[in-house]
Amino acid sequence: MPIELKGRPIIKGLSRGKALVSRNPLSFLGGVDPKTGKIIEKNHDLNGERVTDTILCFPHGHGSTVGSYVLYSLVKRGVGPKAIVNETADPVVVVGAVIAEIPMVDKIDISQIRTGDLVEVDGDKGIVKILMRKESCT
Amino acid sequence: MYLTKEEERIYEGEEGWAYQIAMRILVKLGDLFEADRLIPIESAHVSGVSYKTIGDAAIEFLEALSETGAKAKVTSTANPAGIDYNHLEEMVKLPRLHEKQSRIIELYRNMGINPILTCTPYYIRRPKEDAHLAWAESSTVIYANSLLHSWTNREGGPSALASALIGKTPNYGIHKSENRQADVQVKVETVLRDEADFGALGIHTGRTLKDEIPFFEGLSRPEETQLKHLGSAMASTGMASLFYPCSSCPKSSERPETISVDAKDLRNAFEGLSTTNEDPDMVYIGCPHCSFEEIKQIAQKIKGKKIKNNVKLWICTSRYIRRKTENYVKIIEAAGGKVLSDTCAVVTWLKELGVDVLMTNSAKTAYYAPTMNNVETIFASLDLCIEAACRE
Repeated sequence: MPIELKGRPIIKGLSRGKALVSRNPLSFLGGVDPKTGKIIEKNHDLNGERVTDTILCFPHGHGSTVGSYVLYSLVKRGVGPKAIVNETADPVVVVGAVIAEIPMVDKIDISQIRTGDLVEVDGDKGIVKILMRKESCT
Repeated sequence: MYLTKEEERIYEGEEGWAYQIAMRILVKLGDLFEADRLIPIESAHVSGVSYKTIGDAAIEFLEALSETGAKAKVTSTANPAGIDYNHLEEMVKLPRLHEKQSRIIELYRNMGINPILTCTPYYIRRPKEDAHLAWAESSTVIYANSLLHSWTNREGGPSALASALIGKTPNYGIHKSENRQADVQVKVETVLRDEADFGALGIHTGRTLKDEIPFFEGLSRPEETQLKHLGSAMASTGMASLFYPCSSCPKSSERPETISVDAKDLRNAFEGLSTTNEDPDMVYIGCPHCSFEEIKQIAQKIKGKKIKNNVKLWICTSRYIRRKTENYVKIIEAAGGKVLSDTCAVVTWLKELGVDVLMTNSAKTAYYAPTMNNVETIFASLDLCIEAACRE
């Protein structure tokens, strides 16, 4: 049985992929390279990782509202995340997910999810399912 | 959130992608902050104009919106850009930056957003008292709420743009009178001499308060310019979007929490805004953009003096105020200073202009420039700034 985490639906859509999980808030402006999808925020626990095609899980956003445009640009260039899972949605990330048109869910205890887990995000119902733990993924 | 039939049609995309995405931004923000409905706005003011701050990501989004032919539904204006095209001799000499910047301005213009390129749109057209607005740019927002008695949340670039296209904003936050009551008393137990002291007070208060609404006790007869500096500084270090300069204001309780600010607090905030003792390459006045009175005052102080050869003196204001103060501008420029519009020190490419040490009377600029522009700062009053820029 997959583990089901119930949160709040923010942006509609269904998406499946490998989770990339952070304990730190993320600023898209200055924190993620819009051309490569690489996280460049200093002292960030995901520094050097790519957000590309991941289910990106982090507590909440911070920093400039221009960050919304960066999320749009990442997705349009094909280097963005497939979906966003937050503990607390904030305006910068919500607007970013609206304009990038990717599913988003918040009010999820992201400590339940590990980087590399195969997860499914249901933005209509506000549910995140852990389909397979990293160790059993091939 | 309740939507009218018309709003629902737009949400479903019947007016096209651009209006749909704008409506979705407003509805999602409204849901997030538990707004009950959308309310009409008198005007929108959009930030995110300088190519230096928004970069290519935003251009792509603005192009997609603009291509659909979407237009602003209400009076809409735009914040400063990275370049003053009327004073190119003073600007960075990289053609790529000029092209990108003019493209951004063109895209906003195409969408019916007036590129007045200033953070003080209220000097050009003052919003009505009690009017609801969707303004971005934190210094502009706090000025509108606190000194003009208009009502606006602290919007970001994208949400102000969405409101411009829809002509509405979600009804939450300080659009509601119950959320405009002061929660905390700030007792100022020291004498504030000038705009720089007011700025330092703003830096200290913003840091201390987070998102509470303060009223001040002990500011004797503050001038408008001083309050502009207080507000813009407070909004830089905190989430403030409203303050009351005196104690006659609506309060959330009869005995609100009190914080005191003494001479030592003020001095610490003031000194923390300087990062060096070296001589400045540039002296900068105009954050927020100068008013008529400020330009007049600078001209009076500088009359008959000469700017040092190795120092730039930049005064920034809107094109509108620059025209209105033409005679004062001539005095400043005769001394060797430059009065620029459409841009400011923080949103232009200072480093590329050879600036390593920036001196300013703006607490907001002194706060942001070390990280945004990678320069050292000296924070001082207008008098000391002019003195440092001029020959003995």
